[in-house]
Amino acid sequence: MEFGFTEHQEKLRKEIREFFSSELPEDYEPDTENMGKEVQAFMMQLKDKAVKKGYYVPGWPKEYGGAGYTEIDQGILDEEMGYAGVLWPDFLGLHLVGPTLMMIGTEEQKKRFIPPIARGETVCFEAFTEPEAGSDEANVQLKAVEDGDSFVLSGQKVFISGAFEPNWLFTLARTTQTVPKHRGLTLFLVPANLPGITFRPLPTMGGGRQNEIYFDEVRVSKEYLLGEINRGFYHAMMVFEFERRMTGAASRGKRQLEELIAFCKETKRDGKPLMEDPHVRDTLAGLAIQCEVQRLAGWHSTWAFAERDEIGPMPYDLSNYYAKKWAAPHAKAMTDIIGLYAQLRTGSKWVPMMGRLERMWKVTRSMHAGGTFEVIKIVLAQRGLGLPRIPAQLMTAAGEAIKKGSKSA
Amino acid sequence: MDFSLSSEQEMLRNEARKFLDKECPESLVREIEKRRDGYSPELWRKIADLGWLGMVFPEEYGGLGSSVLDLAVLYEEFGKAMFPSPHLSTVVLCGLLLASAGNEEQKKEILPRIAKGDLILALAWTEPEASLGSTAWEPAGVTVSAVPDGNDYIVTGTKLFVHDAHIADYLLCVARTKREGPAEEGISLFLVDAKSPGMKRTLLKTTAGDKQCEVIFDTVRIPGKNLVGKLNGGWGPLFQALQRGAVMLCAQMVGAGKEILKITVEYAKTRIQFDAPIGVNQYVQEHCTELASYVDGCRFVTYQAAWRLAEQLPCDFEVAIAKGWCSDAFEAACLCAHSVFAGYGYTSKDGVLPLYSRRGKTQQLYLGDGPFWRKRIADALDTRTFQKPKGKALGLWKGGPEDEIPAWKVWRREDLQEV
Ligand SMILES: Cc1cc2nc3c(=O)[nH]c(=O)nc-3n(C[C@H](O)[C@H](O)[C@H](O)COP(=O)(O)OP(=O)(O)OC[C@H]3O[C@@H](n4cnc5c(N)ncnc54)[C@H](O)[C@@H]3O)c2cc1C
Ligand SMILES: Cc1cc2nc3c(=O)[nH]c(=O)nc-3n(C[C@H](O)[C@H](O)[C@H](O)COP(=O)(O)OP(=O)(O)OC[C@H]3O[C@@H](n4cnc5c(N)ncnc54)[C@H](O)[C@@H]3O)c2cc1C
Repeated sequence: MEFGFTEHQEKLRKEIREFFSSELPEDYEPDTENMGKEVQAFMMQLKDKAVKKGYYVPGWPKEYGGAGYTEIDQGILDEEMGYAGVLWPDFLGLHLVGPTLMMIGTEEQKKRFIPPIARGETVCFEAFTEPEAGSDEANVQLKAVEDGDSFVLSGQKVFISGAFEPNWLFTLARTTQTVPKHRGLTLFLVPANLPGITFRPLPTMGGGRQNEIYFDEVRVSKEYLLGEINRGFYHAMMVFEFERRMTGAASRGKRQLEELIAFCKETKRDGKPLMEDPHVRDTLAGLAIQCEVQRLAGWHSTWAFAERDEIGPMPYDLSNYYAKKWAAPHAKAMTDIIGLYAQLRTGSKWVPMMGRLERMWKVTRSMHAGGTFEVIKIVLAQRGLGLPRIPAQLMTAAGEAIKKGSKSA
Repeated sequence: MDFSLSSEQEMLRNEARKFLDKECPESLVREIEKRRDGYSPELWRKIADLGWLGMVFPEEYGGLGSSVLDLAVLYEEFGKAMFPSPHLSTVVLCGLLLASAGNEEQKKEILPRIAKGDLILALAWTEPEASLGSTAWEPAGVTVSAVPDGNDYIVTGTKLFVHDAHIADYLLCVARTKREGPAEEGISLFLVDAKSPGMKRTLLKTTAGDKQCEVIFDTVRIPGKNLVGKLNGGWGPLFQALQRGAVMLCAQMVGAGKEILKITVEYAKTRIQFDAPIGVNQYVQEHCTELASYVDGCRFVTYQAAWRLAEQLPCDFEVAIAKGWCSDAFEAACLCAHSVFAGYGYTSKDGVLPLYSRRGKTQQLYLGDGPFWRKRIADALDTRTFQKPKGKALGLWKGGPEDEIPAWKVWRREDLQEV
């Protein structure tokens, strides 16, 4: 057992921390999703610097532009980025599309698509969710009809995150109608500028931009099909593994906690710093405990991932569970400390901590990306603990029966 | 970062599990709970032979020089087996405290005899008034006094919730030797022969059925050479003992928690109601996942704390996190299991859950509960700093209206009007 880091790892951490600390302005807003043009330009130049420093895809194999980072090194980078509050414009390309291509892309696709992602020249969207396919990803309806050397895509995606203009849509479409629903899906990497694609922005209560994406007979060449035809659902399950592994959540919480502690030390009530209030102290200590549990769970996953030989379902990943479970309660506990000020937004007179807690409260109403907490629990219960599940045919039959019953009633 | 056990630790775990499965079955746990002595002298001998009583002592005092991390591995198995013994009192709390603060003579006199299984010790610390709420282990809670009288000290006062005092050969008594000044600077430790005149030990009746006592010191005379460590310098070593003991309690909760998770999931898979295993219902699945999340959290924080103790790294924060979390998480884990077992988790004759659950009450309260350790965590947070990034302010982050559509504006379908 070893809960510390090697000298080399500590040095790496220091270098990364120093990089972000000197590159970010002191009024930097961590994790903001609501970005004007200037903020986007700032993020882009920061990303270019990170690419140059080798902090962009260091965990990738060298042939794809990586820097030989181990899983642990990568975990340190993720932790520091979480603490700094930096999310790259193409974080989905880095974490989902690139690794997926490495697993299932053809040689030609790898050569063509991966290097631009590694150089930070792309923005990929994960366009999976549909009105009828939320938690039930297998129920994707976006139709892909084979026609010569292409597929013609028609249908709609919804809740697709992205504030930066995309180059690529990483998407799942139905290529076969006549088989059970999860056996007829195929994964595509669709150029975002093809004729027939429409984006409709969906503003959100947290200020981030989501999109509806419409496909009107979009002709997509077969060169953009990833992996095996009709195996897309299984490929997507692997993508979700990558998605669940995106760490940094715990260090984001740690930063919020430390900013709040600093605020409580310098802010007085009744002539005494808030930090001396026993109730505040107990709340902060409770938060610190959960942050630490979450941090260790994240490292446990990273370690387990590094130890195993091949990528496969990781049934027992608690870091994600804790992140989904505690995000909203943490926001509640933190905002309660600042009382009425919890409602003041960034830019307002009197706003504490630049409105970070207010925004955090809003954003934590949306912990559903990558699977709702309910779905995470089902995965943990059924795959992790081996508890039984109701067979799909019975669920379908139940759905039918309920529909019928409500009609006759 | 490495969460795996060494091969020696794996061996210790297997040996312990095999031994306890055979020697400490549930029936023995139940029997001993009803007995007055609260442990099995025969098993005590056997674990002495296995080296478990001296393992963490230095070799020159009959030990094996094992680390506190190794000990945590053993304690996980103690927790799983609910092994009833005065091991925590004797070895961890008193033995290691003597090893760290005692003088050469005391160590030579006591430690080898503990290792051989010839001595039982108990730590007499907490008192009636401070035991209300979470203050029992605060320095100010110590009021039992030791007053010098020639070469001796006279100890007077009442200690409460003293584990294993009724069978102890010696008590390690935490006494106040100075009233003025900061509370932690007036505490001294004394080794008290349990047969000293003026001592009265009375067993309490507890939730867990473990053996805790009231110990009354009625002008008990203690030779000056029995002072352990420096006069008025007891708090430092005592707090370290508290930390080690707390982490061992956590390890017990880890072992117990893993077993509770196992039997609960097993029950959920096999108990049929409404024509199907109850585990098919998401409410039941949720209890199981929550239970798993509490237990794994216990595992992570406990081993981190044990590792830091073993490596002699600063560990005030990590130990406080460990016991602060486990105290409450273990109770919550048991509650999840109670929900799944429902009626069968409440009947005490054949159910094992009530045994774990009742022990959980002791493990939660003993050596500092959640609120006590959270105070320590808050103290550690006082020293945390937050460093803003160093770059020049850019004034770009202004917070626009909620429904502002950020940055790019590409929607190509011309007839999309309502945007
Ligand atoms: C901030 C944000 C960003 C997102 N970004 C993206 C993105 O970039 N790309 C993308 O493809 N998608 C994205 N999504 C969509 C996200 O993946 C879906 O919201 C999520 O999968 C849930 O789908 P849904 O919203 O349709 O809810 P539904 O699936 O309709 O679920 C509604 C409720 O029912 C529960 N439920 C559903 N099925 C079950 C079941 N079997 N058992 C128990 N409970 C069940 C759910 O847990 C939930 O509580 C994003 C969502 C959010 C909120
Ligand atoms: C203190 C006490 C007093 C009692 N007194 C009496 C009495 O006087 N008379 C009497 O007849 N009985 C009595 N009972 C029995 C009591 O009614 C049952 O314990 C209760 O109905 C639950 O049944 P069970 O214990 O067999 O649990 P189970 O039915 O086996 O349930 C186990 C777990 O599965 C859950 N579960 C079961 N089915 C579902 C489902 N479909 N969906 C979701 N979750 C489910 C339960 O909620 C529970 O968490 C008593 C029980 C207790 C604890």
